[in-house]
Amino acid sequence: MDFKPIQILYALWSFSIILNIGLVLQGIVRKIGARVGRRYGIRFYQPYIDIVKNYSLRSSITHGVMFYLGPVFRLTGGMGVYFFTPIIYGSVYFGNFSFAGDIVLVLYFIFFGSLGMALGAGEGGHPYSAIGVGRGLAQVTAAEIPLVMAIIGVAMHYESLSVTEIVAAQQGGIMNWTLMTNPLITILGLIAFLGAMMRSPFDVVLAPQEIPIGPPTEYHSSFLGVMQTNRSVFPMAKTVLFVNIFFGGATNWAAMILKIFLLYMWPVVVGVVFPRFRVDQSIRWWYKYALPLGVVAILVTQYF
Amino acid sequence: MVNPIYIFIIALGVGFLLSLFEKAGKILTMTVFYSALAIMTFISGQWLIALIRGTEIMTLTTAGFPPPFSINLRMGLEEAFFTFFINSLGILAGIFLAPKFRSEKVYGMVLYLMMFMGMNGLVMTRDMFNLFVFMEITSVATVSLIAIDRNLKSVSAGFKYVIASGLASTFFLLGTIFLYRFTGLLNIEMMAEALNYASGQAVFLSVFILLISIIIELKPFPANGWALDVYEAADCGVVSVIAAGVSAAMLYVFIKISALLNQNLMITAAGIGTVTFLFSNLLALKQDNARRLLGYSSIGQIGLIYSAFSFFRLAGFTPGDQTVLLVVGGLFVNHFFAKAGLFWLAGIVKKDKSDEWAGLRSSPLLLFAFAVFILALAGLPPFPGFFAKWQLVMVLSAKGMFPAIGFILLGSFLEAIYLFRWLGKVLKTDPFEPIKIKPWEAFPVAVYLLAIILTGGFLSGIINQGSSLSVLYLPVLFVIVLFMLDFLPVLVKNSLVIVVFSYYTFRIMPQLSGYRIMFGIIFLLGGILLFIPGYIKKGRRLGFYPLAVMMYVGLAGLLLSENTLQFFTSWELMTLGSYFLIIRGKKSEPHALSYMLFSMGGAFVMLLGFGVLYHVNGHLLELATLARIPDMTGIIYSLLTLGFLTKMASIGLHIWLPGAHGEAETDVSPMVSAILLKAGMFGMVVLMSAIPAVKIGFIDIPYVLGWLGAITIFLGNLLAIYQEDAKRLLAYSSVGNLGYVLFGLALMSHLGWLTSITYALNHFLFKAMLFLAIGGVVYRVGTKNMYEMGGLIKNMPISFISVLIGIIALSGVPPLSGFAGKWLTYNAILQKGWYLQGAVVIIGGLIAFLYCFRLIYAVFLGQIKDRNRQVKEAPLALLIPQVILMIAIMVFSVLPGAVLRPVGKFLENIFPAGGLNWQAGTAFTEYGYWNGYWIMMVTGGMFMMVLIWLLFIDRKAQKVKQFNIVYAAERPFRPETTHVGYNFFAHYRKALGSLSRPYVTKFWDTLTDITHSSADFIRKLYNGNGQTYIFHILLFVVVVYFISFGG
Repeated sequence: MDFKPIQILYALWSFSIILNIGLVLQGIVRKIGARVGRRYGIRFYQPYIDIVKNYSLRSSITHGVMFYLGPVFRLTGGMGVYFFTPIIYGSVYFGNFSFAGDIVLVLYFIFFGSLGMALGAGEGGHPYSAIGVGRGLAQVTAAEIPLVMAIIGVAMHYESLSVTEIVAAQQGGIMNWTLMTNPLITILGLIAFLGAMMRSPFDVVLAPQEIPIGPPTEYHSSFLGVMQTNRSVFPMAKTVLFVNIFFGGATNWAAMILKIFLLYMWPVVVGVVFPRFRVDQSIRWWYKYALPLGVVAILVTQYF
Repeated sequence: MVNPIYIFIIALGVGFLLSLFEKAGKILTMTVFYSALAIMTFISGQWLIALIRGTEIMTLTTAGFPPPFSINLRMGLEEAFFTFFINSLGILAGIFLAPKFRSEKVYGMVLYLMMFMGMNGLVMTRDMFNLFVFMEITSVATVSLIAIDRNLKSVSAGFKYVIASGLASTFFLLGTIFLYRFTGLLNIEMMAEALNYASGQAVFLSVFILLISIIIELKPFPANGWALDVYEAADCGVVSVIAAGVSAAMLYVFIKISALLNQNLMITAAGIGTVTFLFSNLLALKQDNARRLLGYSSIGQIGLIYSAFSFFRLAGFTPGDQTVLLVVGGLFVNHFFAKAGLFWLAGIVKKDKSDEWAGLRSSPLLLFAFAVFILALAGLPPFPGFFAKWQLVMVLSAKGMFPAIGFILLGSFLEAIYLFRWLGKVLKTDPFEPIKIKPWEAFPVAVYLLAIILTGGFLSGIINQGSSLSVLYLPVLFVIVLFMLDFLPVLVKNSLVIVVFSYYTFRIMPQLSGYRIMFGIIFLLGGILLFIPGYIKKGRRLGFYPLAVMMYVGLAGLLLSENTLQFFTSWELMTLGSYFLIIRGKKSEPHALSYMLFSMGGAFVMLLGFGVLYHVNGHLLELATLARIPDMTGIIYSLLTLGFLTKMASIGLHIWLPGAHGEAETDVSPMVSAILLKAGMFGMVVLMSAIPAVKIGFIDIPYVLGWLGAITIFLGNLLAIYQEDAKRLLAYSSVGNLGYVLFGLALMSHLGWLTSITYALNHFLFKAMLFLAIGGVVYRVGTKNMYEMGGLIKNMPISFISVLIGIIALSGVPPLSGFAGKWLTYNAILQKGWYLQGAVVIIGGLIAFLYCFRLIYAVFLGQIKDRNRQVKEAPLALLIPQVILMIAIMVFSVLPGAVLRPVGKFLENIFPAGGLNWQAGTAFTEYGYWNGYWIMMVTGGMFMMVLIWLLFIDRKAQKVKQFNIVYAAERPFRPETTHVGYNFFAHYRKALGSLSRPYVTKFWDTLTDITHSSADFIRKLYNGNGQTYIFHILLFVVVVYFISFGG
């Protein structure tokens, strides 16, 4: 697990792949969503256009140093989650920097971006940003309940916190996936996944359909570009993580892309079906349903 | 050597001649009067010294007749001791009363001399009849002196006193007559030999009557209403003589006649004493009249002393045994000096209500004296009561008399409640009326102040053969020196403290080994660091330095302690110092009280634990014996744990912390939060490293502690998110953080302890930094409410960075050192198999994000308020330690191995297996791995990359003005309405509903209410009616008779 400078190049390569997957998938999902709603929808490459547009906008204002650094923290956080996760099992090129730490590192790195972003939004001075952050953090702490419990469950199950080892244990066919060997933990993980993806019914933080509200309120042009880059990478990174720990990981990109696509559809479908929760409702929901399920899942894993 | 008979001759002679002298003028009269008292003191003092040096005991009979026809006297060590104290009181109280004697007729002085002659007689005589005579003389003189003020209150109090002492005398006489009938003797010793309980119930009855008469004089609960009225009504100088002197004489009478008691009656006496102690202190809780309060306390203390003596006799000690002298003597001396001093202070202050004594603050000497007397009564070191109580508990424990200890400690706790409430009021009530101090009133107080300190020092030297406490001497001496140098300005004192403390640390550190090194770093190096902010204070900061140093002396003492006595003494010194630090805050009074009460409660429980340890491990004090407890391990473990947990503020015992830490001064908050809380952890480490596994029945205690830690984390963090006050937010966060420490320790594994230590070290670093930074903000902005701040990032950039690093480390986000704790937590819980607790721990930890964000956002980000626009960066003295701490956090983050490896090495002594494996910078467990260095590098690399990219594409970003925001076609201009700060997590409260309610606070409030209202109910007994009081006495006699006869 020694570091070689060439790994930086591998990581950038891997990053460009996942960025493109993220952008395409975003476009496709929005397209599907529109079609379900009997609209024509955007072109699937619209996210590319958006991101290029935002990066090229010249008007730019800032509210201070933290405001400026907010998107930097955000994207670093998203990249970090990705870079600390091994992507393709057994690949020399796509192991990223996973030698620096195990799944706990990934789990806590999720907060790096959120916290930095929250600080930047805070300095923006817009009340809606603060309200959005307040809601977001509150909801995240509740939504992390099943995630934490699922990770503990998986670690119990495989007696390891190393993503590589967890994937290794799942090799050799679908029957070895966590999905099959420990379905309860997987269900818990899938519920946690809903919370992690910021889609309906847990999307009050961003409230994308309404007037601009939420942490990014004051962000625009290239700041928004950086955040859009993150929005393409970060959900993909999380999806990869879930694929790795519940669905056997992947030994090549084709399998990985397929699994990402399928898993990504899960919160999309739920989001289309269920309307949005108010934030206190969603916190309550996590405590009321996800927490007991987590307890059961852990007890089952421990004693059966 | 002057014959002790001259005490009587002088008292009588001068008493009779004073009327003659009066003709020659007041000055001559008073000179003669004081000379007489001085000579009496001199004679007894001379005997005391001679007897200590080994002179023969003197027994004398007057005029060559045997008793009862002569006055049969004895001058032994005890007699010399008691008469010396009584006579010295005579001269000092005499000085205090000088104006009264000067203005009154000469009879006052005559009565005063008679009273003291009576007391001397009570102490010295060994003859029943003589005793009776001296009792009568003392009573008559006392009653007349009580009524010397000639107002209705004192006359009626005097009358009640006459009736009560008349009843007591009657009983005494009756008992004596009966005993004379059975033995034909009047000398107590001879009588004791001749007495045969087997000859019939009548013997028992007659001794009982004798005993009860003495006990009535000692004011047992509930037959003591008359005495309380006396304490309340009579002149303070006279009351001081009654409370200290007459009680002392009667106490010694009790000790003498205890030779006659059989076991049953001894138990009766012990029981009455204990009940009196307990109930006097309970009833005092609702008392707001200072002198009546002191009366309750007096009665309680006397009860404690004679019950302690009786317990010792029951345990098989002879009255002259050294331990008995130490304990009974120590308790007595403590009570004697403190109570006389306090009654004199009552005379100086001249306020009835105990709340109105703040005037004492106009004189540092009297304030100091008041504090010392209160602390002495509360049984804190370095005063005599502490050592006596320690020894009492140990001796009783050795004999297994745990219920007795329980009652005594409970009573002591109740006493601490009202004493500290009073002390707090005196220290904090504003405004106050300055008092006028007259030298003749202050002088006696000063003498007894000095005396109580010196006796404390003396007892500390002889307790446990004097070997134990020597390590504390030099540091405590430094504290005393600091008290004397208190007139110097802060600049000088602060520098002096830093220099001396550094030197001391330099001397101490090499003596430490194992985990004590780590605590040494936190307690001592951290202590030095946290003295730097002291430079922000101007003026003299009276009292701060000696007491702050006392806290550190206690902490250093803990590090060096090898036996339970050292440990406990250091613990109490630390508590004492920190109490005075905490109460310095503007609104700290109630919080300091609750801190002190939890601390005292915890300390008493711990004391009981040490007692049980002493009982089972063969009467040894060494802490090392914790590792080989043959029996009752669970009980010892639980008691000690409970004591330590109060300091660690685990949930349930935490309610003192938010106020105490939140309201403390700017530089005190980091001390008490970052450093002091670790004392509890230190205790737990000492305990747990000695006892690896412990169960009570089926209950595995570390398992329970694990859950307790987990719940503490969850609730502590949850409560922190609701705080509007920035310092309280940090305080609640400490509750949560100490929960991790407890949880980690409770895991009882290598990784668990490593987690715990990592958290402790991190908490020290970031909490000190956060409290300093927020303290600086509060110092500049002038409010602690976060919603009144906002947008301070531009005004206070360094404080902002410090808070930023602090919260990142606190929340455990990589790449900073907090992540080490989180990673270790996961591994430790997996290794131990505590999955559910672990989940609670981690989920609780996530809630920390909420308050972390709120702290930094509401204070530094968002919209700045108009009144804060001119705010400057915090003073340099606050910033320097923050920068040092920042560097420390960074180093720990990048090179965690540098700290964790040595800690792991020493942990292998306790838990050989299951630690971290290190390969270069990567730490491995059987579960996962982590490399702090590479995390930092990768994160830093990514961050720089993104930043450079953004700087490249967005290099022309323009800074806009404050309200230039996208605001729905409106342009806001009021920061108050634009800055979202108040009730920030309202939705969380709504979501959690009843989970966020303060059940614990409600529980303690209810308990307090019940105690106070029961005190209020019981004290209705004392209705001020003399007839009722007589009825109480008679009923008391009958009830006690049936109880002791039946048992």
